[in-house]
Amino acid sequence: MSFTGLPISTIAWAAAFAAVAITVLYLLRLRRRRVEVPFSPLWAQVASRRMQSDRRRLLRRILSWLLHLTIAALLLFAALGPHFDEEIVDERHVLILVDNSASMAATDVSGAHDRFELARDEAIELLGTIGGDDRVMVATFNDEVQPLGTFVDDPSLLKPALADQRWTANPADLNQALRFAADSLRDRQPAELVVISDGAGVDDTASLDVDFGDETTVRHRKVGESSENVAITAFEARRYPANRLDHQVFLQLHSYFDRPVDVTLQILADDTPVENESLRLEPGEPHRQFYPELAAAGERLEARLRLDTDDARDVFPLDDRAFATIPPPQRLDVQLVSSGNLYLEGPLLIGTHIELETVHPDDYDPGAEFDVTIFDGVDAEPPDTGDVLYFAPHRDSSPFDIAGEDNEPIVTDVLEDHPLVRWVQLDDLNIARTTTFDAAVGDTAVVESFGQPIIIARETDDRRKAAVGFDVRDSDFPLRVGFPVFLLNAMDWFADDDDELQPGYPTGTTWSIPVDDGADSATITDPDDRRHTAAVHDGQALFYGELPGFHTVETDRESITVAANLADPAESDITPQQLEFDDVDVEQDTDELIFDRRQVWMGLLFAALALLMIEWITFNRRWTV
Amino acid sequence: MSDPSEQSSEPFGEEFLQRLEYLRMVAQKMAAGQFRARRRTETVGSGIDFADHRSYNPGDAVKNIDWRVYRRSEKLFVKQYEEQQDLHVYFLVDTSRSMHLGDAAKWHLARDTAAALAYIALSNLDRVSIVPFSSAVTGRLAPTRGRSQIFKIFDFLGGIEPGGETSTADAFGTFVRENKRPGLAVVISDFYDPEGFEKGLDVLRYHRFEPMVIQLFDRREFSVSITGDVQLVDCETGSARRMVSTPSVGAELKAAFEQFSENLENYCTRHQMLYFQAPVQQSFEDLVLDVFRAGGFLD
Repeated sequence: MSFTGLPISTIAWAAAFAAVAITVLYLLRLRRRRVEVPFSPLWAQVASRRMQSDRRRLLRRILSWLLHLTIAALLLFAALGPHFDEEIVDERHVLILVDNSASMAATDVSGAHDRFELARDEAIELLGTIGGDDRVMVATFNDEVQPLGTFVDDPSLLKPALADQRWTANPADLNQALRFAADSLRDRQPAELVVISDGAGVDDTASLDVDFGDETTVRHRKVGESSENVAITAFEARRYPANRLDHQVFLQLHSYFDRPVDVTLQILADDTPVENESLRLEPGEPHRQFYPELAAAGERLEARLRLDTDDARDVFPLDDRAFATIPPPQRLDVQLVSSGNLYLEGPLLIGTHIELETVHPDDYDPGAEFDVTIFDGVDAEPPDTGDVLYFAPHRDSSPFDIAGEDNEPIVTDVLEDHPLVRWVQLDDLNIARTTTFDAAVGDTAVVESFGQPIIIARETDDRRKAAVGFDVRDSDFPLRVGFPVFLLNAMDWFADDDDELQPGYPTGTTWSIPVDDGADSATITDPDDRRHTAAVHDGQALFYGELPGFHTVETDRESITVAANLADPAESDITPQQLEFDDVDVEQDTDELIFDRRQVWMGLLFAALALLMIEWITFNRRWTV
Repeated sequence: MSDPSEQSSEPFGEEFLQRLEYLRMVAQKMAAGQFRARRRTETVGSGIDFADHRSYNPGDAVKNIDWRVYRRSEKLFVKQYEEQQDLHVYFLVDTSRSMHLGDAAKWHLARDTAAALAYIALSNLDRVSIVPFSSAVTGRLAPTRGRSQIFKIFDFLGGIEPGGETSTADAFGTFVRENKRPGLAVVISDFYDPEGFEKGLDVLRYHRFEPMVIQLFDRREFSVSITGDVQLVDCETGSARRMVSTPSVGAELKAAFEQFSENLENYCTRHQMLYFQAPVQQSFEDLVLDVFRAGGFLD
């Protein structure tokens, strides 16, 4: 038994004083009221019948006196603040970590709408039972830790902030949260760490090397009951390269059921359904779905997954929707400086986003503003602005150093991952003659013949240039299917219009969103229509995104839409798990969750009150007098 | 009827006298229907009407020996004759402290009852004497006769100083020594005598007085409002005893009193005494009428 109340010496003095005072007061109470009666023998008859034996009366009086002393003793003992030895009664620092990662949005709990709501309620309940000497701090965590305040001794200060919290669509980084806890508690012993989490994705915490301090008790309150979930774990889309009106869409689905389930997958473009397909998902295996030519008009694609199996319930709706955007094709103003070359004009004319203007070399004006200028064997001054593509450039006007000429070169090396030659086969290209280049520092040799570049590219801060060493009419390149692709690749490269699959931004990360260079800041509107201001550095708006869905990014000169997805198979695996460490014991029993201090003093107070009632009743009924 | 609580220290005013006169007329009507108008003591002695024989004792007058009886029985008997005398009515009024406890309601009722009965007795040409007592006879109004003497009685009763303990044996012993002439002894008291009422009444009986007992009591004595540990102090003796008073004490006390009263009544019945009991909540007129109805006072 330990005591946290008044000092024992003080209580001893108080006990002595109380004993004397009670005894004196009791003796005073025993003084009888004087009643004058006309004939005492009559009363004597009554009294004789009511008189108990002296011993019995004495016993009862002593009992009454003892009752008073017992009441005083109980009160004084309560003032000592007694606690049982197994209780921790010293001042403790208590840190409550509440998981608000995406998996906490699962609805597999009773008594609350979702896991986080249950965790939050339990945290608030814990705050209500904090000991008077304790200091408490509450923090939420997902892939970031967010303390709701410092250590305070008044838990009520934390309740409003905690009540305002909600789950996020971010993955959980429990390791980071535990390191934060260790740093917070290591020098504040004794301490209690309470982790209220579903434990989803804690596989790697067992070997986590953190030092919570010797007197820290780690407790885990696991929330969540089920792992049954179907999820869209990847959703990517791009325009179809050969037909920019179509889309290619890649989807990856996961089922976390332990049996096959039926689902319906729906794809919408600008809120219009364009695809609807029923699928059967096998347990554990990722299901990948590819739509190579999805005919749809729109820039906003959304995938929705619905569970159709009757006796199954998807408890985690957050990953049942995924989003993707396709940037609108960038419009290019292209001038072709040529005396006439249908091979070049044809592919450029089919590009819906290309505005082609053919200019005779005599009419060429270097000061004219075009996004791209193509010189078809023309010896002319480079344009003042825009990107440039040369075919059979002249030594005097070529920006690339010309090494010499080569007849019937053989293509020996192709830089296949360069955007200019993507999806283009050049291995057996027949060329009558070509100019070869000397690659300078910063130049990229895209196609080479025995080490001599015949297609070369250069990228500077603000301009891109490329040169093809031969006249297309001196080769069979225009007769190949790869030729228009090459030209469109070149236009896309100049326009920086990439046809890579657009995966969208993952939630819980800082996004770098390209915006126009001149902007200082951007306004981002999230799916909940909340507006955020994001700083822009080097043409990139930096924003920490937490919600899946479409975000609108606005600057003074443009407005673009980006998509964000949870798209994390680990976070979609919502299986609740217990926290376990190799070196630290984790209390898992919720029945012994902290703060359930037995308030002995309160029990003593009630006992004293009960004795007081008994004494009052027995005295007034004259049982103890 | 008047409220006993209205009885003041100036009890014998004109109104009181009117009430006594009313009582007297009622008493005469009742006596006319049932009783003689005059009452005389009937004692054996030296009168002319033969009453009885008794055995001869040495010292008896020889002239009273009935020789005829001796001739038949050869035993000596003397003749006894009725001796008719004027009735003496003694009012033995208890003045002890128990009669004055609280608002002295018992004393007021005793005083008024004595006055009323004395007035009727005076009207009946009886000789009336008032003898207050406690542990001793504390005074004496010599026997007086005639209705006009009522004011003398009023003055005497009004001048009585209450107090003292009750001891009927001592007081009545003194009374019988001071009053040789027997008569009707109306004892008005609560009979709260620690030594018992029997000794005192026996003294009266043994000295040929005809005791008539009027027991007064106050119902409020049984309405115990105080509960708890109390110290009971006898208002006369000052003796104290401890007791725990509870709401049920009143009922127990009343039962004890009823037992006490029953003993008194049984004693009176056994010895052919008239017994009346009246609470102070009853008016003295009612009590007087009760006495008349019982026929114990005028017959």
